[in-house]
Amino acid sequence: ARVNCRVELKQLLMECVVQGIIETQHVEALEILLQGLCGVHREQFKVHELYLKSGPNLGAVASEVRLLCDLQQPEPTWTVRHVGGAMRGSGAEQLSVLVRTMVESKVGKNVLRLFYLLGYRLDYELLRAGVAFHFFRGAQINVTVSSVNKMLKLHATDEAVPVTPGIQLVEVTAQASSENYTEVAAAMSSFCEYLAPLVHLSKPGVSTGVVPTAAAAAASLMSDGGGTTL
Amino acid sequence: MPVKWVLHWQPNAGTTVNTQIIAEVCQCVEGINAVKDGRWKVNLSFYRPVLKEHANAAEYPREFLGVALPEQPNKYYFVVRQHRLVLEADLAIQTIMEKLQSYKTRVAIIFEGFQYQLGDFRLRVGKVVPVHSENLRGIIMEIEYLPISSWEKSHRIMGDFHDILQEALSKRSAPGQFVHLEPPLADFALSDQYTSQHTCVQYANVMLQLIATVQATQPARN
Repeated sequence: ARVNCRVELKQLLMECVVQGIIETQHVEALEILLQGLCGVHREQFKVHELYLKSGPNLGAVASEVRLLCDLQQPEPTWTVRHVGGAMRGSGAEQLSVLVRTMVESKVGKNVLRLFYLLGYRLDYELLRAGVAFHFFRGAQINVTVSSVNKMLKLHATDEAVPVTPGIQLVEVTAQASSENYTEVAAAMSSFCEYLAPLVHLSKPGVSTGVVPTAAAAAASLMSDGGGTTL
Repeated sequence: MPVKWVLHWQPNAGTTVNTQIIAEVCQCVEGINAVKDGRWKVNLSFYRPVLKEHANAAEYPREFLGVALPEQPNKYYFVVRQHRLVLEADLAIQTIMEKLQSYKTRVAIIFEGFQYQLGDFRLRVGKVVPVHSENLRGIIMEIEYLPISSWEKSHRIMGDFHDILQEALSKRSAPGQFVHLEPPLADFALSDQYTSQHTCVQYANVMLQLIATVQATQPARN
């Protein structure tokens, strides 16, 4: 059973990602659009993200790891995530989504203490709060619309302020394997086209700004609760 | 989850472990009507930091262990014994550690052998060997009492069973005894309700004892 588990894990160690930004005033319209498109209810989403980096003497090269604390649950739950560099090569570069390795593990709540003991340091931390949609449309897709907040005091998630007031981050991700990432990327791209009237999604690091006509699209969605086809 | 004691063989002064003792222990266990019902295996790995030349190794944990238990096929556990830390994770944490490349597994130890059922008790007897080696480092026994999950409540009956077993073994003139080290549960923030994390802490303690025993019985090599 352990051998089988490990084989399956090796097959799902990638993710496809795109990001975009939207003005906070249009988030409600985006939620209506998403709900209409994917048929699932939004979930509240509040995650404390701790970005750790290895100390200067640890490892032949520096390493980074993310700890995610889900604050939405009554009992916070922790995940460790390792995000790799973007896949290279002409095949990957032609895709409109970013493909990278990504491995996650649920962990117990003393994970931060473990990594400090191992010689990792807190590089920075963020609080992401907003909504999430999880659905299947050619691939298992996750959409989050959230404000990205920084903490004024160490770990003070109750005193977080937006990094970009008035602007929220839209992130679309899907897990993939080395065998199916092109199909997953295509499914994601296809889905993201429907969001184009409100948010332009592109590879992280390729910034495109807000959609100039978003206001009109949002007004359309808000006026009849999503019945309009854009 | 039922309470479990993890015991290690403490050889009498002047003796060492050998496979004959394992055979005798198994015969003894079968002699008290335990029924063999399978095999078991625990994997333990020592993680060592990858450090730059001028780094001070003392700043990094000396005993950072990874443990895989047969009863938890989808989990992996870390124990940093000197800092009283135990952490449960998914199997994927091993992949994450490989990708970080800040720690590498240097030594892997296997605990494996036969499993027995005796009324409400489940017993495991096994050898301790480095992976890819038959160099016997120790003998291990697990005693599990299925009806009770509370560490405190089970103490008496576990102790009684341990005594019975020890008596049966001494009747066969076994050159040593199985020792149970009381794990400092509170230090590890573990509650009275038994979990696999309790098992991993016991394995970490046993590992330390086995290293000490091997070092004590071998003359200084240098």
